[in-house]
Amino acid sequence: MTSSHQAALGENQMLKLYADMLLIRRVEERLGRLFADGEVPGFIHLSIGQEAVPVGVMSALTADDTIASTHRGHGHAIAKGMPLDGFFAELLGCEQGLCRGRGGSMHVADLSIGMLGANGIVGAGLSIALGSALAHQRLRRNAIAVAFFGDGALGEGLLHECLNLASLWRLPLLFVCENNGWSEFSPSAGQITFRLADLVPAYGIPYVASDGNDVVAVSTTAADIVAHVRREGPAVLECFTTRMRGHYEGDAQKYRDPAELEALAARDPIRIAKEYLRRLDVGEERLQDLLTDIDCRIEAAVAAARAGSAPDFETAKADTYTRVDMH
Amino acid sequence: MTSEPIRSITMPKLGLTMTEGLLASWRVKPGDQVRAGDVLFVVETEKIATDFEAPSDGKIVSLEVAEGSIVPVGTTVATWIENVMPLDRAASSRGSFSNATRVIATPLARRLARQANIDLKAIRGSGPRGRIKARDVEIAAAQQAVLRAEADASSPAASAAPLSQQQRRPASLSETTVARRMTEAKRNIPHFYVIADADVTRLLKLREELNAAKGEIRLSLTHFVVAAVVKTLKRFPDINRVWDANEIVTLDAIDIGLAIMTERGLVAPVLRNADRLGLDGIACACEELVTRARRGRLTEEDLAGGAISVSNVGMFGAAQLIPIINPGQAAILGVAAVRPVFRPDDRGQPSLRQELSLALSCDHRVLDGVSATRFLNAVAEILAQPLTLLRR
Amino acid sequence: MPELRYIRAINQALADALEADPSVILLGEDVSAAGGAFGATRGLRDRFGAERVIDTPISEAALAGAAVGAALSGLKPVLEIMFMDFTTLVMDALVNQAAKARFMFGGQRSVPLVVRTPHGGGLSAGPQHSQCLEAWFAHVPGLKVVCPADPASAYGLLRAAIADPDPVIVVENKALYATKAEVPEVLEPLPIGRAAVIRPGRDLTLVSYGGAVHTCTAAAGILANEGIEAEVVDLRSLQPWDEATVMNSLSRTHRLIVVHEAVEAFGIGAEIAARMADIGFDELDAPILRIGAPFMPVPFSKALERKYLPSADAVVQAARKVLA
Repeated sequence: MTSSHQAALGENQMLKLYADMLLIRRVEERLGRLFADGEVPGFIHLSIGQEAVPVGVMSALTADDTIASTHRGHGHAIAKGMPLDGFFAELLGCEQGLCRGRGGSMHVADLSIGMLGANGIVGAGLSIALGSALAHQRLRRNAIAVAFFGDGALGEGLLHECLNLASLWRLPLLFVCENNGWSEFSPSAGQITFRLADLVPAYGIPYVASDGNDVVAVSTTAADIVAHVRREGPAVLECFTTRMRGHYEGDAQKYRDPAELEALAARDPIRIAKEYLRRLDVGEERLQDLLTDIDCRIEAAVAAARAGSAPDFETAKADTYTRVDMH
Repeated sequence: MTSEPIRSITMPKLGLTMTEGLLASWRVKPGDQVRAGDVLFVVETEKIATDFEAPSDGKIVSLEVAEGSIVPVGTTVATWIENVMPLDRAASSRGSFSNATRVIATPLARRLARQANIDLKAIRGSGPRGRIKARDVEIAAAQQAVLRAEADASSPAASAAPLSQQQRRPASLSETTVARRMTEAKRNIPHFYVIADADVTRLLKLREELNAAKGEIRLSLTHFVVAAVVKTLKRFPDINRVWDANEIVTLDAIDIGLAIMTERGLVAPVLRNADRLGLDGIACACEELVTRARRGRLTEEDLAGGAISVSNVGMFGAAQLIPIINPGQAAILGVAAVRPVFRPDDRGQPSLRQELSLALSCDHRVLDGVSATRFLNAVAEILAQPLTLLRR
Repeated sequence: MPELRYIRAINQALADALEADPSVILLGEDVSAAGGAFGATRGLRDRFGAERVIDTPISEAALAGAAVGAALSGLKPVLEIMFMDFTTLVMDALVNQAAKARFMFGGQRSVPLVVRTPHGGGLSAGPQHSQCLEAWFAHVPGLKVVCPADPASAYGLLRAAIADPDPVIVVENKALYATKAEVPEVLEPLPIGRAAVIRPGRDLTLVSYGGAVHTCTAAAGILANEGIEAEVVDLRSLQPWDEATVMNSLSRTHRLIVVHEAVEAFGIGAEIAARMADIGFDELDAPILRIGAPFMPVPFSKALERKYLPSADAVVQAARKVLA
């Protein structure tokens, strides 16, 4: 399957996929350092090691399609096109942030590009994406909604409700499970008694799986399944991937087998993508330029964020409601 | 405090037919800070002198009209700025717990007491746990005003001026008015008098019972007397008439005058259509007139009409009061203090009764001795058998 | 003036809203084919189609979440939750998602959804089908809560709720559904956050909402026979609520009693009493009293429920207490 996929993707396409993943990787690494230095308040959940999924899926979407994300949503946000300035400013808690400093890492959102928000409640994005798909359908738009969720959400009853409803109403909804095998600090294998592959057919909708660390596999599979969702109705895409860092930054992952962590390096999606590029004879210099360009953009965004201003309290408070018609 | 604009104070309309008033005297001068309720000036009309009180705190800017001027209603008589620096109100019992008993009062009562400068410790609360309520403060304020007026009248030493200066002074305007009217009454009305004693033993018991109920207006002896007079007038409508320019005018409404003692002297406003009010109604209407009279808020209309007034000086302990008829009316009933007496019962044994003396002063131009005596006896009978008030 | 039943007023409001705005959709269990468990949505599917009047499975949590997603994506969903007791199942969607989205996304968009749900007892529906939980939602910043007491306000507040850009919980009263009252010839939306003085009085103020408003007017009638004139204020909106009208009333009567069917402890009355004790302190001539249901689950048996619900007598007794 790999070689035919490889043949289908030309150099430019591959470079774009690689660049998008690299951007996410570098952003996350930069955030990790900012967090360690105390510049990012609260807690952050990095998606290092999982970049191929958002990039692969987003490559099949258009600007009108909407996505709902999880608490580990930076990859989704950046892959969907969230501006770096607004993103970093938000994480540093500034007025210039996309959410004006009111949400932070777990609630980054950009509704103008169809990113309906990262979410601090496990599984909540499922029903929000469901609703978005409902809107697309009833308003007769040629758009779909994508619900990202992790294997940690497989225990939530909301998943069942959403699968049932999506199938019942034949909604243009794609469920994307990023299965990294971990529910916070516990292996999902010790928590979940079923495989998604066995569950999904019960709802009468298609299930496909993909190697979540191979961006070519993800993007090719995504292209097919997204086309199905547009035409027919809901489907589930499960991507098996790797969470390379802790549940959140600061989590020392003492609960993980050191051998397992070492083996992860071989499965690094960036490394795998680079392999594709090498086979396409893309030179190291080109990749280096790309990296430099990405790092520059990131540094500019960080500098802008550091120069940002504190949000005003009364303005924030007033935005609790859109409008209060009181005399 | 934000600065307020300068506003006008105008000649008030104190009666339906009033078109102009005499600004009799100023009590303030430009620059004075005043508190709500302070008297700013005195207005005189034909019948009464009325105090004009500041509606809120403020500062007088200018006086526009001289004392003694007669100006149309609505004319600017002064200018002032409202709500300037809040004056330091003398705290009542707030903060002084030297009694070791806390004063329990509602927030509203405390505010009213502050504004009226009344010591909460001096007030008896009618609420649960002896809680002082707004009404208690209002009543205390009214009573205090009366007492102050009486104290001023009875002890010249109350003022700081030396004795020699107090032996002679010009009469005040209300004093002049009263003097004029009473002289006129005595000169023009041929008075004769009928006296009777009323046994009020049963009445006092009934009153006590009725007043035990909470949440109801307190009934006084005066209220009962007024009710008895009203009932009797209904029975003897010929008594309800007055002499007016060689004509005998029978009144169609039963209005009763009520003699009220105020800071400024005696006034006798009239209770309208007293026959349509029950005992409670009479009590409420009397209280209302008393409150307004003591605040100087009576109008010309209040003082007109009625054939008969009631004047109760029982609270001052007089054995008998022989009052002077108010010009325009034909009679006035003086009520004296209740006193215990022993009367023989039907077996000739001494029985302790509570009695008070009634004195009816009558205008001989419209009333004769027989009808007056019959009338007075009927009133006394009702007072002796107060339950007859239940009947029509 | 014409008469209209409370439930018909709701039906009319939904119909008029569906007519006026193509982005309005109705969702709920049995709302479409059956016209709603209480008949609130009768006839609407025939008029507006099954695409806009949608029957749902019993999946409150997902439906409420879907309402949020749909509202963020251009629809104005009106979700019916059959009994207010079941709002326990929609808490995450309403509290963590709907109430927060505008704020935590920096004001990028609003969540114009409506949840309609009947509360209240008196029908022996039992402990899990009779609760009044509006205080929970009034306590969540970002949510609005309204509670109509009569057909005209049921129409007016529901229309206003659907047009409102923010999430609104419209709390109906199932025992009032069948009641009729006079309504204006032309029904209009009512402003959210405005109370109404439905009976003026000078001796004390009774503040209430929902079914208890009628308990208060009954009590006011009894008190009037004793010469006591009670002013009755129908809050209509609980979040936001009309402090100014209540304060104005208090400054005239100087006595305040808050009456509601919901449990007295930690209820809406607690907030009103505390706030008035704060801004209205100097106006009070008596303590502020609250009348609500006792601190126990709603009982089933008629004899028990009769004692449970706040009565006009209880209000009258409280009135005598504040006048003492």
